[in-house]
Amino acid sequence: MATTTVAPPLMTEERRSGRRSGGQNLGRPGFAWALPATLFFGFFAIVPLVLVVVLSFTSWSGIGSVEYVGLANWRRLAADPTMTQSLWLSVLLTALGVAVQTPLSLLIGVWAAGHQRNRAVLSAIFFLPLLLSMTAVSVLWRVLLDPNFGVPGQLPGLFGDGNLFGSRTGAIGVLVFVSSWQFIPFHALIYQGAARAVPAVLYQAAEVDGAGRWGQFRHVTLPQLRNAMITSLVLMVVGGLTTFDTVLILTGGGPGTDTTITAYYMYEQAFKSFDFGAGAAIALLLVVVATIISLIVVRVSGYDKMRSTMEGL
Amino acid sequence: MMTVRSRLARAVAVGAALALALPLAACGGGDSGGDADEIHILVYGDATNKVETQLVETFNKTSKVKAVLDTIPGADYQTKLQTIINTNQAPDIFFNWGGGSITPFVKANLLMPLDDMIAKDPGLKSNFLPSVFNTAVVDGKSYGVPMRGTQPVLLFHNKKVLADAGITPPQTWDELLAAVNTLKGKKITPIALGGGDQWPTQMWYQYLYDRVAGPELFAKALGGDKSAWDSPDSRRALELLRQLKDAGAFGTNFDSVKFTDGGSPALLSSGKAGFELMGSWNYSTHNDANPTFAAKDLGWTAFPSVPGGKGDPRNVVGNTNNFYSVLKKTKHPEAVAEFLKLQYSDEFVKAQLSIGNLPTTTNTDKFLDTATNPAYSKFQFDMVKQAPSFQLSWDQAYPPAATTTIHQAVQQYLNGRMDANGFIKAMQSLQAG
Repeated sequence: MATTTVAPPLMTEERRSGRRSGGQNLGRPGFAWALPATLFFGFFAIVPLVLVVVLSFTSWSGIGSVEYVGLANWRRLAADPTMTQSLWLSVLLTALGVAVQTPLSLLIGVWAAGHQRNRAVLSAIFFLPLLLSMTAVSVLWRVLLDPNFGVPGQLPGLFGDGNLFGSRTGAIGVLVFVSSWQFIPFHALIYQGAARAVPAVLYQAAEVDGAGRWGQFRHVTLPQLRNAMITSLVLMVVGGLTTFDTVLILTGGGPGTDTTITAYYMYEQAFKSFDFGAGAAIALLLVVVATIISLIVVRVSGYDKMRSTMEGL
Repeated sequence: MMTVRSRLARAVAVGAALALALPLAACGGGDSGGDADEIHILVYGDATNKVETQLVETFNKTSKVKAVLDTIPGADYQTKLQTIINTNQAPDIFFNWGGGSITPFVKANLLMPLDDMIAKDPGLKSNFLPSVFNTAVVDGKSYGVPMRGTQPVLLFHNKKVLADAGITPPQTWDELLAAVNTLKGKKITPIALGGGDQWPTQMWYQYLYDRVAGPELFAKALGGDKSAWDSPDSRRALELLRQLKDAGAFGTNFDSVKFTDGGSPALLSSGKAGFELMGSWNYSTHNDANPTFAAKDLGWTAFPSVPGGKGDPRNVVGNTNNFYSVLKKTKHPEAVAEFLKLQYSDEFVKAQLSIGNLPTTTNTDKFLDTATNPAYSKFQFDMVKQAPSFQLSWDQAYPPAATTTIHQAVQQYLNGRMDANGFIKAMQSLQAG
């Protein structure tokens, strides 16, 4: 256990494959164990997905008969500026969400992993938003941000005329703020768990090597949180691309179509314009885009290899 | 602080109502098991529900088949209805706006023509004002019985604010512009507008188009003649609206304000705004939230006339009425007929009047004096009776599929994101009813 370097030791290919085959010798549960989850997934994810594919080639208003229309829905979407815009908006909101939430939840999570006084009490308060329903949170913030009777009305110096929901920047800002307010606790929880798991011996070693508080954070904590960070990132990306409730309640996709992200546009086509064919096509597009982005994140970050940060300990 | 508290309480209540309504509606009507002798009645959830509850209780006192009232909160009503109407959870009787709101259901063969019921009890038709009853006639057959009240759009004002500013309620467009300038000078938002809901914005277009061009322009457009939107009259109406907005009539943050969460009504009642163009339900909204204001300081007039306009200044826009329509597959058509008869009973008329609604039964004027505010009810009654034209709201006249496009266009033209050409193009893209 006498580790003298902070960086994990290099692994050779033999060692890695050796570990893999060693793992396989352990008694692994058979396929039967996966059966309930597989059935559940098949019934509630695969079957609906297939139906959505079928529906995207039809025209259906929810009542009456389903009509096959070939590629008409797809052609219309390809020429629809709102559709293209909605994809960019989804990506923008996701990126902003990641940029705001990651540093804050990292700091809170690492702080909450410590043993300071009042830590438990403050953590409990920080994590409260996580317990609230997203719908209730959105309704609450909509009222709190009313330009005349909410917070902006009291702080004209900060908010100007308080037209938060009337401009594109304002509306996007509100969406990023409210989802961050709600989800930072969740990601902080991931980081807290991971930070707790960092062996104390690494910090002791770093201290011996003369690393200060910042040095320890930078050279011990951050590398050790690598996998937690990737987990949190994937959850943020998938969650961000499928955000819906906050948009529905806070902005309704508005002003105009300025916050009509793809998931909301899907809802609008299917349940407001009652064009379930177009809605299904958008849903399918969203599935494809979200899958591609998740795959890229997984590839680039090396999540698929899931290298242990505990090598050599 | 008090207002912040009560708004918070209301927000929580809305959330709770949303959560409750889903399972409620999900239990609705579908009991194909058959042992339940019930008819389910689905209505739009708002302040008028207390009358519906009262009538259901009256009905249940004498009927063997029990009526159950299910409500869906405001904005989600049409969505939820269209989603369940062809399923086992469909109600027996449901609230609607007639016109474009039921045409798709009629075409899908889901609704019961009420002509047989009317043959047995002619009162189901003859007790209602014909112009109103006819809004729910599709292809020559009757599909709805009026319920609730007629909902013309009026220009409401805060009497105290106007008096303090030395303004009398405007009769003409120029007087309105002058009032806007005066109020703006006193740092009061001249006109409250719940632009976040989009449909309140639409009301300004409906009246301006009517005053400038008369009801024919919209009728032509709805009939499929898309050139109507590009006519000089159409452009003139858009120009007047832009002029009003540029004069600062709505302030700058109207797109962040909503009527449905109590934002714009509070602007008017707290004296932070002078006017609000709103449907006649506005009275019961204020009466519910702030009875003292509704009784003392809430004023109303017809929409001002426009110089050189072709439309009769007595013309009205709004929702002609709401209707009860019946699902073809109801198991208890006799009980349904009995329930519908209550919609022209004296009890119904009195209960509606008592909360500020104006029913359109022929016996309504008998009871006008019993209304919670007789002056208000009489004003509306005369206005609707004398109106040469009663334009159904645009988003109700077109089928539901057009709603999003209309709402986005009215919002984007008013806030400047779209120019007149963009608005015209958007309206021309609508599929006619």
